[in-house]
Amino acid sequence: MEKKLALYICTGCGIGDSLNVEKISNIAKNAQKVPVVKSHFALCAKEGLEVIKGDIANEGVNTIIVAACSPRVKYEEFSFPGCIVERVPVRELAIQLIEKPEDQQLAAEDYIKMGVIKAQKGDLPEPYIIETVKNILVIGGGIAGMTAALHCAELGYDVFLVEKEPQLGGFVNKLYKQIPTTLPYTEPLIVDTTIQETIKAVEAHPKIKVYKSSKVEKTEGQPGAFDVTISTNGTQEVVKIGTIILAAGWRPYDATKLEHLGYGRFKDVVTSIEFEEIAKKGSGKILRPSDGRPAKRVAFIQCAGSRDPNHLPYCSAMCCASSLKQTKYVRQDPDACAMVFYKDIRTPGRTEYYYKEAQNDPGVMLTKADVTGVSDVGNGNMYVEMENSLLGEKVKVEADLVVLATGVVPATLDDPIINLQYRQGLGLPDLELYNGFADSNFICFQYETRRTGIYAAGCVRQPMNMAEAQEDAAGAALKAIQCAEHVAQGIAVHPRAWDKTYPDPFMQKCTSCKRCTEECPFGAIDEDEKGTPYFKPNRCRRCATCMGACPERIISFKDYHVDMIGTMLKNVSVPSEDDDPRLIVLVCENDAYPALDAAAKAGIKIDKAVRFVQLRCLGSTNLVWIADALSKGIDGMLLMGCKYGENYQCHFAKGSELANYRLGKVQETLSRLQLESERVQMVQLAIDEYEKVPKLILDFVERVKEIGPNPFKGF
Amino acid sequence: MSEQTKNEATVTPDLGFVKEVIASGGEDLKKCYQCSTCTVVCSVTPDDKPFPRKEMLYAQWGMKDKLISNPDIWLCHQCSDCTAYCPRGAKPGEVLGAVRQMAIQHYSAPSFLAKMVADPKYLLVLLAVPVIIFLVLLHVQGFLTGEIPRNEMGQISFSKMFYPTYYIDPVFISAALFAVISFVVGVKKYWADMARNYPLPAGSDTTSSLVETLKEIISHQNFKKCGVTKERSTAHMLVFFSFVGLAITTTLAVFHLYILKQPSPYPLYYPLKIIGNISAIGLIIGITLVTNNRLKNAAKAGKGSYYDWLFIVVIYVIAVTGILAQLTRIADIAPVAYFMYFLHLVFIFFLFAYAPFSKMAHMVYRTTAMVFARQAKRQ
Repeated sequence: MEKKLALYICTGCGIGDSLNVEKISNIAKNAQKVPVVKSHFALCAKEGLEVIKGDIANEGVNTIIVAACSPRVKYEEFSFPGCIVERVPVRELAIQLIEKPEDQQLAAEDYIKMGVIKAQKGDLPEPYIIETVKNILVIGGGIAGMTAALHCAELGYDVFLVEKEPQLGGFVNKLYKQIPTTLPYTEPLIVDTTIQETIKAVEAHPKIKVYKSSKVEKTEGQPGAFDVTISTNGTQEVVKIGTIILAAGWRPYDATKLEHLGYGRFKDVVTSIEFEEIAKKGSGKILRPSDGRPAKRVAFIQCAGSRDPNHLPYCSAMCCASSLKQTKYVRQDPDACAMVFYKDIRTPGRTEYYYKEAQNDPGVMLTKADVTGVSDVGNGNMYVEMENSLLGEKVKVEADLVVLATGVVPATLDDPIINLQYRQGLGLPDLELYNGFADSNFICFQYETRRTGIYAAGCVRQPMNMAEAQEDAAGAALKAIQCAEHVAQGIAVHPRAWDKTYPDPFMQKCTSCKRCTEECPFGAIDEDEKGTPYFKPNRCRRCATCMGACPERIISFKDYHVDMIGTMLKNVSVPSEDDDPRLIVLVCENDAYPALDAAAKAGIKIDKAVRFVQLRCLGSTNLVWIADALSKGIDGMLLMGCKYGENYQCHFAKGSELANYRLGKVQETLSRLQLESERVQMVQLAIDEYEKVPKLILDFVERVKEIGPNPFKGF
Repeated sequence: MSEQTKNEATVTPDLGFVKEVIASGGEDLKKCYQCSTCTVVCSVTPDDKPFPRKEMLYAQWGMKDKLISNPDIWLCHQCSDCTAYCPRGAKPGEVLGAVRQMAIQHYSAPSFLAKMVADPKYLLVLLAVPVIIFLVLLHVQGFLTGEIPRNEMGQISFSKMFYPTYYIDPVFISAALFAVISFVVGVKKYWADMARNYPLPAGSDTTSSLVETLKEIISHQNFKKCGVTKERSTAHMLVFFSFVGLAITTTLAVFHLYILKQPSPYPLYYPLKIIGNISAIGLIIGITLVTNNRLKNAAKAGKGSYYDWLFIVVIYVIAVTGILAQLTRIADIAPVAYFMYFLHLVFIFFLFAYAPFSKMAHMVYRTTAMVFARQAKRQ
């Protein structure tokens, strides 16, 4: 578009007191040729905004640079539809973080210069709009899946529900009774499940199409335009889907691996689910599998194969409450005892009250113990043997029925389920980090996965009880709907849920090296038969990791590309004195930049040598920027981003890790320039670690001073 | 498959025993979730194998043997700090009180009497025994016609009520003997059970343990360790030493009667009367304090059972009837005086004959447990 630039400098919030606004205006007008340069003492107030709006209406201004506060505040005030808006945070980065006025002035000049360049080089986005549908596919017809389906249908969306069993209901179908859903918990502490009503509601709903005895054969395409092949008993049907909710649930841990606890050796050693089936079959009477006699002494062994490095290392959260419920089945016979052997009793949330009520029964006995094995008494009963028990050091207790409370294993451990026809693989990536659970560590957004448009709910993503699964399903349903709506308008989802740009590669220069394809954390890039990558923008989260990866620099976004940042870096002022270094710090917008805002607000001061440049993600760091900056005399570059590794915080999952990996390759570039590789470093910073910023910066400044000034200075 | 080591004990939960403990005063027993706050707060618990947490667990599992043949339940002095601090309201102090009651019932012989003393249904039957015995004796002496016995000086003379004393002494001596034998049988069984579970170190000496224990008891030092109910120290001391005083009084009376051949009534300035009256007043004050403390602390420390209150009431009646008998004798209101004295004797019989089965037995069992614990070096 034909741009008319305007720079507005706010002199409020202490900015005007520290800056020589006239000098800055002159630089902008003369050196950078900005036609309109104005200042106002309260730019975000009504009068200040009127100035800007007036210029838009009367002067034809359409590219606005606001030199004021952080882009993370006052964004509603400074939004002008149809205009490019660049925010330059002089208040935080130039005034609040820097001590001396003359240094503040120089910093402000640099930041405003960079802001103008960014506005000159950027463009308004043209969203990627293709033909999309807003249907929702729910994989799994258990309590989580059915709840999600009903929520989506009630909100007016068409739902396709795929269930692998011949009937809906999942594991809740096998339960004899459930824990009551309302407080206070009173005897008998067990109530009927309502799963049959839920199944009826789902099957009767006009907006839900149910596929039973079915699986997802393959999923192709992108959010808004998924082509999903559903196979039912051999016959296949392809449906067009907008977004997907994965609620495929779980299975109990394989108890044949628990031979030491008697499973397989004794008919009367059963798992929790098998015990439910015994209770259901006997309508509440607990009859031993071996001889059909009523069980009078039932032992419950908790953490059977859980919290154990040889089996499942994690806790499955719902087994303690579930076993306490099952003791109530036993106690329907007033002469029977239920004995619970636990490592700990874990009944989080309201179920703590359930524990209180359930144990207040003379026939429910509990003790902490490390159960070592189950052996034969000789009369048809079994001994449960334990040590470190509250009952005594080494103790054995006779029982006529033993229930092993086995843990939750997610369906995604055995099977990718979604069967994505993506180049990066059939299932959700890196699930071994989460013991197979469809989790993602995606910060604060538990339904998110590393595949855009696919949301996980229920036990497939984390062990949980029925009430929690229903809440989870509601959350995932809302996210799925949001994605379907956004994608229809060409807008991205979390974490850049406002972004209408998308990666647009200049394919003529592509060498098919596939670095973008492999590095994309979200599998947004596939390759065709010739091996040429092609982009599926609706799968993209707009992190620009591909832009950083591309050695030919062919990938760009309308308002973010390699040349833009490169030019900004090349125009930062470089002091001519040898002992006055200039350092660039690239910060990601998710954790590192907000930490700077917090530091500024806390009155922290940092070394005057640095200039911060905000990136979408450190993954978008292109190595050419390092060459550009250092060849202009910048003494060092620091990359500051979210944590990566096992407990990663990176908001794009892999960005900061990839940046770190790429830095390994920068050695070559630097040695060609005859520069020391220690001039470029990377640090990890969490949003709450803002007090560390001064020391991090200072350490880096000292390092670089030790190395010595950049020989390219003053070239 | 784990090997059967010789330290592997078999635990058999007993649902019936659990229900018994709940019925005997430990009604909130099942609320305990083993947080151990009670043990941390208890100031008399030994450092190894502390209580009352494990007792709560044993009670929840109905492990009768581990509970009853265990000195720890008697080391507890029911200060009720544990009950006050229990976050779930499981009242461990009350549970231990109930277990002590069940221990007394278990060890005392014959067991049918133990059951009767613990059950309010049989109160009248138990009282009837001494009443009938004394009425028979009075009848034999011809006093039931309404004739009021007086001595040579025309005074009311209680010693004339059962005269010669060989009418009354055998009754009380038999009652006392019965109590002593029953105690000996019970304590021997208890000691044997304890020694089976907690073997005594070789060369340990019971006598010196007994001496040390008696010193501890007399100084009431365990009572002073309480938090919530520390006024019990004063109350119990008064009751305890008043009993001692009354025992001395009775001995002196026997001495006067049989050695000095001087029957009652005695003038008030006699040493035995002075000791007797001071003890009586001490007893009334003491038992009133005991009652007040119990009522005041009921919310935090529990209200106590029939078993507890029976003991308190019996002591009250003994003290009150004794004082009233003396006062009405001095005021020369003969029928009331003799009636008071009659009641006095009935309740004293009740106290001593049923001592092995009632809360009075704590005197012997707690001492035994403390001696054992000291000897086994568990304090």
